[in-house]
Amino acid sequence: MAEFAVVGSSAPRLDGLEKATGRAVYVDDMTRPGLLHGAVLRSAYAHARIVAIDTAAALALPGVHCVLTGEDFPHRYGAFVQDEVALARDRVRYVGEPVAVLAAETPALARQAAALIAVDYEELPAVMTPEEALAPDAPLVHADFAGYARRVAVPLPPNVCAATTISEGDVDAAFAGCDVVVEGTYRTQAQVHCYLEPCGALAEADAAGKVTIWSSCQSVFRVQATVAEILGLPMARIRAVAAKVGGAFGGKSDVTVQPLAAALALRTRRPVRLVLTRDDDFMMMRTRHPATVWMKTGAMADGRLVARAARLTLDGGAYAEDSSAVLGFALLIARGPYRIEHVRMEGRVAYTNRLRAAGFRGYGNPQVTFAGECQIDEIAARLGRDPLDLRLQNAVRAGDDWVGGQRIEACGLVDCLERLRAALPPAAPGRGIGVACVAHISGILSTSAIVRVLEDGTVTLSTGAVDLGEGADTVLAQICAETLGLPLDRINYAVPDTDGSPYNWSTGGSRVTYMVGRAVTAAAGQARDRLFGHAAEMLECAAGDLELRPGGRVGIAGVPGPEITFRDISARAHWAVGGPIIGSASVMFEGGGFDPKRSAVTGNGIGKLGAFVFGAQAAEVEVDAVTGRIAVSRLWAAHDVGRAINPTAVAGQIAGGVAQGLGYALYEDLRFDGPNPANPTLMDYKVPGATEMPEIIPIIVEHPEPSGPFGAKGIGEPPLVPVAPAIANAVAALHGVRLRTLPLTPERVLAALDEA
Amino acid sequence: MTGPRLVRPATLDAALAVLAEEPDARCLAGGATLVAMMNAGLAEPGVLVALDGIAELRGITVADDGRVRIGAMTRHRETAADMRLAGGHAVVRQAASVIANAVVRNMGTMGGSIAFFDPAADYPPALVAADAEIELASAAATRRLAAREFFVDWYTTAIEPGEMVTAIHLPPAGTQPSIYRKHARTSGDYAIASLALVLDGAGARVAVGACGPVPLRSDAAEAVLAGRLADHDAVAEAAALLAAAADPVDDVRGSADYRRRLIPRLLQAAISELLDTREAA
Repeated sequence: MAEFAVVGSSAPRLDGLEKATGRAVYVDDMTRPGLLHGAVLRSAYAHARIVAIDTAAALALPGVHCVLTGEDFPHRYGAFVQDEVALARDRVRYVGEPVAVLAAETPALARQAAALIAVDYEELPAVMTPEEALAPDAPLVHADFAGYARRVAVPLPPNVCAATTISEGDVDAAFAGCDVVVEGTYRTQAQVHCYLEPCGALAEADAAGKVTIWSSCQSVFRVQATVAEILGLPMARIRAVAAKVGGAFGGKSDVTVQPLAAALALRTRRPVRLVLTRDDDFMMMRTRHPATVWMKTGAMADGRLVARAARLTLDGGAYAEDSSAVLGFALLIARGPYRIEHVRMEGRVAYTNRLRAAGFRGYGNPQVTFAGECQIDEIAARLGRDPLDLRLQNAVRAGDDWVGGQRIEACGLVDCLERLRAALPPAAPGRGIGVACVAHISGILSTSAIVRVLEDGTVTLSTGAVDLGEGADTVLAQICAETLGLPLDRINYAVPDTDGSPYNWSTGGSRVTYMVGRAVTAAAGQARDRLFGHAAEMLECAAGDLELRPGGRVGIAGVPGPEITFRDISARAHWAVGGPIIGSASVMFEGGGFDPKRSAVTGNGIGKLGAFVFGAQAAEVEVDAVTGRIAVSRLWAAHDVGRAINPTAVAGQIAGGVAQGLGYALYEDLRFDGPNPANPTLMDYKVPGATEMPEIIPIIVEHPEPSGPFGAKGIGEPPLVPVAPAIANAVAALHGVRLRTLPLTPERVLAALDEA
Repeated sequence: MTGPRLVRPATLDAALAVLAEEPDARCLAGGATLVAMMNAGLAEPGVLVALDGIAELRGITVADDGRVRIGAMTRHRETAADMRLAGGHAVVRQAASVIANAVVRNMGTMGGSIAFFDPAADYPPALVAADAEIELASAAATRRLAAREFFVDWYTTAIEPGEMVTAIHLPPAGTQPSIYRKHARTSGDYAIASLALVLDGAGARVAVGACGPVPLRSDAAEAVLAGRLADHDAVAEAAALLAAAADPVDDVRGSADYRRRLIPRLLQAAISELLDTREAA
């Protein structure tokens, strides 16, 4: 018999039917009476002074209602460095940066008017790479940097927006004692989020001046707080509501076009919809941080890993955004899931005149794990060891501590590796198999949930967690249903709306199942206790003797007879005794951080992160001898999720992460031609399609996390991370060549094969 | 802002009359390229002449003597599925089957594709290797041009103002096999480099795509190959001639250097594959 009724079942998506039938409403489908349409004018320069902006011709077009420029947005913002503005003011810092925005009667008119805005620029020298930015006497991306408010106020060199070091033990002494040391420099590229739905928002102000913003976002509460900061309004005057979101992957974690739409709506007193074209989205929005990772790993002859050092340079683009935290997390995770005692991780983020780098599924982890997992195989090759076996020997276990001292409470890594080994086929000619592991976190910051028992005994679950398409709504409803012994169809999952939903930080950090799930469990548990309080009076027994029975009924444990329904209890609560039954809970992730007795840390931008999650993948590849093209035929992905609340949704997250990881490994690369993105279209920037996908074999491992809801923890980010090193290790296994630059293009493969 | 005026003639003569009268008219075939260019602001035609109602532009006919006529409005999907395109004509069918993706193949047409002429597209090298002729018509006249003459330079063809592509003609093909080999980043992408190879008597016709302004064909290389297809040295010599004649560029799909290195590899692989096919047959 199943342990649970709803948890662990692959319940269909709550919104599956509306999405499959095309009735799901995204921002671009929304309309309001009197709707105006927004359009954005982008900078044509990577670095220039704005001398003057002439909007007269645009405003003179009949049907154009309002044109806003940087002067209309005086407030700077930014989570770590207050360097950012909603529209460029005085300076533009990348090609594509929004310079002006306007509202007009039709989308075509808005675009036509945008083209009539005349901007007088004085071009300035630009820095397009970290090497250029960090060179002596380089032009400054932010000449006013010294005046910006910063959360991590350590001294920084010019054009550096974050610098961090983390060290434990004595790395230099440890390397000196190692039998084998490998060292190399690895380079990773700018990956674009490429969510199916470009960024968009619809904003409308009411007569009192309160503005409502429907948008494609990862957090209605981040939208509310940041728009309030940018417009200089109290949060109580901003209402943010989630539309259906067509993918985000970190790219909609910070505000996108919401402040622009809100300002236009407030100015025009008309509803304004601003949805970016794919072209605009590519040019204005964000990428993963390109990275250069120097890394060195040392081991003893018996295979014990003892030391690792890394120096990381990230390209942060024109604005800092989350760079400080991305860097800190990358350095924290760079040790990898191995018992390595001596570590020294150093890194910095350079400002450049490119579009902003941002959080992106993995958050600094894919860059360092590419380096780290390649080096495990390099050491295995030097020691003549099986790479999977070497990983097993060194793998962290439950009860171990991470860098910084946080205890690993539950750990299925060894199990992931063993299950992987059991699944792998015997060696076959022309095919190489490579393995890579991932450690990540699941958690971060705070969240909350409200469970309301309606008069008929059904339940409304409110959280602030926006479903980005991964199925979190369904998983949270399953957690609620299980806690209350209800079938899933009795749960109404309320759309996140800052006017009614309880706070949630964001859908990010692989945290919704784990963090919001904890809040839902606690809130539903509180509702259950209150139901029991009524039931005890109604059945004339002690609340402690009561049990939930399937379908929303309460009876006395061990006594098959008398029972009452949620409907009876809730009717009593609403109409006679006590008032409506509401459960609520707030949670914060409070574990982790750095123990100063073991770690020397400077410039750290990360706080208490979350529970550790682990996985291991293997890729089977073939390499076309004619062209160097890598084809991945099969990919085994073993991931410890604590408990799979919805196994199909877990497998979906694994498939999606592997697809995006495959793009990162083999195809995706936003290149620059001087100051301009060279391939900012889906025609030239290639994401993998159905025909590129390998057969994916998901292996779900369940080592329950003690603090997680029913033992569950996150799976959103980890499956992307090990794909690239697993493929690189497979190519090395097949041909003995080590590729250290992503993506692993046929050109790079062929060059390596020819050199070998 | 006004969009282009759309006309939808039922006959070729009516379409040609519009082209003669309207200097800023553009033919709308499958829209796979032109609509994308219009969306990107790279084309702003005043008049769009939709060709989808003109029956005489559609379909593939094979004459008794083996000559093939492919109407300009034949969709890639139809060409890819027509198994009468065999032997020396298979190269054209194979090229059609690897264009972009299924959605584009359902809409895109051979006439539209070659009239736009992206040098990294699939038909140009296949048609050049197949010794195809392009039929062009204007209100005043109809003419035929060898594919080698039709493709002039980057995105430039021999189409004159007022003219349109009406058909593609393939000469009779022997029973010897042909092959189109495309190397792209992903299955839906334009080629990094491609190679069309048609065995011809004791030799072969070879055209390389995406490695210069027009499909690359080298009479010198083909002369080296004549009678020596199974000779590795001859193949290497022909490949070197082709690679030296190539004029590739660096772009996001690959470097010029990589493209030059690919040419001999693609040629050797294609010849081995065709010789194996011929032996098996």
